[in-house]
Amino acid sequence: MVASRTLDARLARSKTVDGGYSSVPGAAPEPEATALAAIASGDSDALTWLESAQRADGSFGIDAGSVVSDDTAQVCLALPEGPALERALDHVATVAGANAVGDPGPPPYGWAWTVGAHGWTEPTAWGVLALRKRRPEAEDRIADGLDVLRTQECRAGGWNYGTSESFGVFQPPFAQTTSIALFATNGVDDQLTRHGLDALRSLWRHEATGLLSLAISAAALRFLDDPDADEAASRLDRSIASSDDADTVALAWAAIAVGPGLEILRIP
Amino acid sequence: MSDTRRHPISRRTFLRGVGAVTAVGAATAVGLRVRSAREDHPWDASAFPPPADARVAALRASSYDADLEAVVLAGLRAIEADVSGARILLKPNFVEFDAGSAINTDPRLIAAAVGAFRRLGAATVVVGEAPGHRRDTRYVVEASGLAEALRDVQAPFVDMNVSAAALVALHSHYTGLGSLWLPTAVTEADVVVSMPKMKTHHWAGVTLSLKNCFGCLPGRVYGWPKNVLHWQGIERSILDIAGAVRPSYAIVDGIVAMEGNGPIDGTPKPAGLVIVGNDPVAVDATTAHIMGFEPDRLPYLAEAGAFLGVADLERISVRGEDPDALVTPFAPAPGFEGIGATAVGGQ
Repeated sequence: MVASRTLDARLARSKTVDGGYSSVPGAAPEPEATALAAIASGDSDALTWLESAQRADGSFGIDAGSVVSDDTAQVCLALPEGPALERALDHVATVAGANAVGDPGPPPYGWAWTVGAHGWTEPTAWGVLALRKRRPEAEDRIADGLDVLRTQECRAGGWNYGTSESFGVFQPPFAQTTSIALFATNGVDDQLTRHGLDALRSLWRHEATGLLSLAISAAALRFLDDPDADEAASRLDRSIASSDDADTVALAWAAIAVGPGLEILRIP
Repeated sequence: MSDTRRHPISRRTFLRGVGAVTAVGAATAVGLRVRSAREDHPWDASAFPPPADARVAALRASSYDADLEAVVLAGLRAIEADVSGARILLKPNFVEFDAGSAINTDPRLIAAAVGAFRRLGAATVVVGEAPGHRRDTRYVVEASGLAEALRDVQAPFVDMNVSAAALVALHSHYTGLGSLWLPTAVTEADVVVSMPKMKTHHWAGVTLSLKNCFGCLPGRVYGWPKNVLHWQGIERSILDIAGAVRPSYAIVDGIVAMEGNGPIDGTPKPAGLVIVGNDPVAVDATTAHIMGFEPDRLPYLAEAGAFLGVADLERISVRGEDPDALVTPFAPAPGFEGIGATAVGGQ
């Protein structure tokens, strides 16, 4: 099996001089890559960088003109207890996706990739997971996020990016998005989790050519103590060795899948 | 290279010059469908000089087993493409992958384009994509066969969802975006070649070389899907994004195209065509015409003809096959039944 220190060394290629992590080696540090690297490796430099990158409103992300990306929930899972975490959680508990342009519309809302946009599977899963883990008293927002995941569940179980049906056509689930959603639903909605896990079992081998899909699937299968977990870990071991161009998020998920970082995502 | 839109150095200078955003003010979003000729145009005239000679060649290719490198090379020569010494980025369409569908630009055509540009003296040819529905680009590239095709021709691939990017100020203002994160694979290329699939689109009517530019924007900023761009108005976003990416050439995969409920769930339609041009607007207008649609009835395409290229079919220099002889009506996407040529005059 790939030793955690091997993955740490691969992740270190994306570490910047100020302690953050970039999406690929040689680029500028970014909150999501840094947060996942911190969860995966426990790098204290990454936590220092994250605290320096917090916006005035407590959020984290990348500004792109009028577009504001929002990676705050992921960061909440990495940050230690303290004022930075509390301000970040305040943001996560407050911000919500919208169901129409410029209009929240009827619930549920979930969380969006960018502030003010629609709620999609992955950011909603991160939002639910962050609040369940770090601020469980935000029950209404957690329930809202779970409602989004129920709404966006694909017909046969599991999730894609967040569209279960389009123009009358049912859309298929993906391994990567199903996996992240399972972290959010585990322990709170057994039927949703069971359907999602069934979907993941049927998907992950087909999508294992992608390191991110394989790594996050391996993490979810281990997280759920599934019988496929050992096989996924074994395939992940081989895949890492042949994925020299892997990006930081994929490598971080690989490290989470085989290391202690997985426990950071576990809700007591 | 004679015109500034295609000159490698001019293109790099243009993008680098705007790379440092000094002010990201609230740009005026102009109502695309309601903008009258008397209103100020929502683009900086100095950044969009009048388009030069627009040349388009439509070529027949019966299948993906044909000698596609020869087809693409013939097309590029017909439009007098000059790419000697240029660093080229090919941008195909891999928004997601579904085996057996016609969603994607076929990897064999992409590999053929790599070979054709090399034969024309390109310094480097790189393929880049930022899938809009799938976060795991490597999965899409491997499952679709693109990775194998590129390995065969030893061409590198850039995952533009995660690669280094730069903030670029917009010189058109149809949206309120103000600026865009663009991969350095785009900003540092001398020549960007948009390589779309010939498809209908249930929100835009058609998705061709201009809409394909959406796939240059990194998902780690804009998400999966890039919903915030759609919410700016998909047609407005097409104009601003294409105006920032500024593809120099377009090569449309119409060998097996898609009609009906595109861009994902439509029906494969063998059209047996590759359309090549030095003006993406002209290529899209010509391709839409071949699909049986009126370019004037596609608002973003008509608007692109005001500043980004030539949409007027009468002003496009056609090389090779006569597009009129190639017209093969496509079933329109839901909601776009009125864009067909037969709909002119309310018929």
